Amino acid sequence: MSEFHRFVVDGSPDIELEELAAHLGLQETEAEELDRRFFDTADGRLHVMGATLELRSPVEYPMMRSLVWMRGGQVLASTRVDAGFEPSMADSLPVGPAFDRLRDVIEMRRLLPTTEVRSRLSVAAYLDSEEKTNARVRIDLPALTDGRRLPALLEVRAVRGYESETDRLLAHLDNRDGFDATDLSTADFARSMVGAAPFVPSKFSVRLDPDGSASDVWTAVLRELHDTMIANFAGTVDDVDSEFLHDFRVAVRRTRSVLQEGRGVLDPAARDHFRAGFKWLGDITTPTRDADVHLLDYPHMLATLSVEYAAALAPLGELLVARQHSSQLQLAADLRSSRRAQLGAEWDEFLAGDGPWTTRSGEAADADRRATDVVAVRIARAQSRLLRDGRAIDANSPPEALHDLRKDAKRLRYLLECFGSLFPAEELSVAVRPLKSLQDVLGEFQDTEVQAHALADLGRQLDNQGASTETILAMGGAIEQLSVRSARARREFAARFTAFDARAVQLAFDHLTMRSTVKQSKKRNTKRSKHGNTGRKSR
Amino acid sequence: MKILATYNIKGGVGKTASAVNLAHVAAGRGNRVLLWDLDPQGAATFYFRVKPKVKGGGEALLSGRRDLGDVIKGSDYDNLDIVPADFSYRHLDLMLDDAKKPLARLRKVLSSVADEYDYVFLDCAPSISLTSESVFRAADALLVPVIPTTLSIRTFDQLDRFVDENPDIVRKLKILGFFSMADTRKRLHRELAEELRQQRPELLPTQIPMDTDIERMGIHRQPVTAAYPRSRPSRAYQSLWDEILERL
Repeated sequence: MSEFHRFVVDGSPDIELEELAAHLGLQETEAEELDRRFFDTADGRLHVMGATLELRSPVEYPMMRSLVWMRGGQVLASTRVDAGFEPSMADSLPVGPAFDRLRDVIEMRRLLPTTEVRSRLSVAAYLDSEEKTNARVRIDLPALTDGRRLPALLEVRAVRGYESETDRLLAHLDNRDGFDATDLSTADFARSMVGAAPFVPSKFSVRLDPDGSASDVWTAVLRELHDTMIANFAGTVDDVDSEFLHDFRVAVRRTRSVLQEGRGVLDPAARDHFRAGFKWLGDITTPTRDADVHLLDYPHMLATLSVEYAAALAPLGELLVARQHSSQLQLAADLRSSRRAQLGAEWDEFLAGDGPWTTRSGEAADADRRATDVVAVRIARAQSRLLRDGRAIDANSPPEALHDLRKDAKRLRYLLECFGSLFPAEELSVAVRPLKSLQDVLGEFQDTEVQAHALADLGRQLDNQGASTETILAMGGAIEQLSVRSARARREFAARFTAFDARAVQLAFDHLTMRSTVKQSKKRNTKRSKHGNTGRKSR
Repeated sequence: MKILATYNIKGGVGKTASAVNLAHVAAGRGNRVLLWDLDPQGAATFYFRVKPKVKGGGEALLSGRRDLGDVIKGSDYDNLDIVPADFSYRHLDLMLDDAKKPLARLRKVLSSVADEYDYVFLDCAPSISLTSESVFRAADALLVPVIPTTLSIRTFDQLDRFVDENPDIVRKLKILGFFSMADTRKRLHRELAEELRQQRPELLPTQIPMDTDIERMGIHRQPVTAAYPRSRPSRAYQSLWDEILERL
């Protein structure tokens, strides 16, 4: 990527920029007044990578619309689109290699309109003696559609290999008053000015106080997870894209896991009550998530089959869409139900320390202990269980043993993710990487088995509905492909588990949990010496 | 990343014009394109207004002392970058001769930018030499412009013989020939083109016309597809690129 610099221009940008262009001998190559509508995914994938996607149309010729994908001042893709075109899911994007790369970025997420501006946009070239462009200078004078002006921006992108030649230009800007460097784009400024909701990152990133009490830390984690559920609620109900439900569901599962690990930290009655509530909430999301997974996997399934088999599977595609639709309707109804509303209200109260939950007498022995110590013990326990169960698995173990191990791995992973900021990042990363790799293979093993069973059920359903022999044969082919993947995952398990069981990884876990262990043994020793009873015979 | 080399044993057949315009067409369609001007005369480099100079020369690149990425220059067009020519390229044969595994050398150098580009165009100097053999090994396809003249056709035959006799060098290389600088007003061009198409049905259907707009590339220092995007040669290069994609 070439060097890219962006400045906010204060004062009277028109005059400043005109003077600047004349002083530096910039050659204007484009100048247009444009209506621009920006798009991004709900989790801001384009924003995170410093890119923008916009529908542009010249104010003078509104029918001449283009879809433009830019990053770092460079046009990555640009194409004319029809008047009615609006980007949404990956398959809505124009064909071509550049938009293929955008498809890879957004994956299963829907592109949503974020903001609209009208810009006077001009592009100028910074030339050398050969009249070769050494840098491109983009000047943007934007305003919101209601006329409110946004900061004028000047962007400089050095052409690759001409970075040093662009230094003179940048030095001039650095020394000039009224030019302040910024990372924010016109789309960012516009979103900020209209008070748009922030992007909802999929990654869990709460900062916890390592010296805080277990009770405070548990509550902080549960609050963060609750925020994630709230942020993804409407998108899940409206089925904007499958990732809303995915993230909602992950937050529910993490909440259940944190509640499970909250023995001794949270009030037992409240813990039992909410564990049951969130189990129900998780359960009602399962049929739709299963249907989503089938639909997401459907194109990959087709790709593994011959052209004839793939064509014959069309009735399955229709059935999967219909199932997703009906399960989504049921999910939306359940999420709008009074039972869900009551759970949400009670959970709000619990997290705020309000309502009946404050008056309950707890038996929370660990609530006031240092959170890092409590979590370290939980991690050590989950890790030991995973090692014990994993080491017991051999080539003859039933599939259920691997499925159970997946649950062990998930439990450990949630602990590391939810409470990760209590521990040093480097040690955490050494521990998480092989665990994630192990989980991937366990996930593939279980998912392919579950999908094969589901496909067999769907095949019977299609058979009863009078599907053609070709369709049934094609489904047999798809199930066979799943069996091949399942067998491959099973074969890979041993190597992945061995990597997780490696000395270096276990040392990283020891380092994570050692602080607590050392402190605890010190405490025990102090207690023993205070009571004059070591519990051991002297030699 | 696909590597395409514009190549002909004979000079003056439109290799550089083809490399420059096809690279510009490919980049205009959203592909990330690199054009490496391997001809020490540096015509492609000139068309893009880039200075024909590589720090350390060709030897530094081939020996690995300098990364290819360090010498790449952006063109005036989005998604199109250049590795400039250098006068030292006239000794590429000697440099390759001194290198370990000379035939694999070019591909190895290019592998360092494999994630950055979808297509690499190699604009080769006319000859059959160790350099061209290294190009044959590196490339996925040779784009062979042929003027419908007896001499030009003769060199195409020579290339064919070389390919037949050296399967270990060319391996899976595709040979995509097409008529270039074709003057449909000349009876001889028309007749030879027709005759050769019968002999070689695998030739790409589009022919690049002899056109003053192409000759003006030297004045504008721009691809014809940029300077005159709706011109006859521009439309021909667009169609030719479609046909190349179908064959790759």
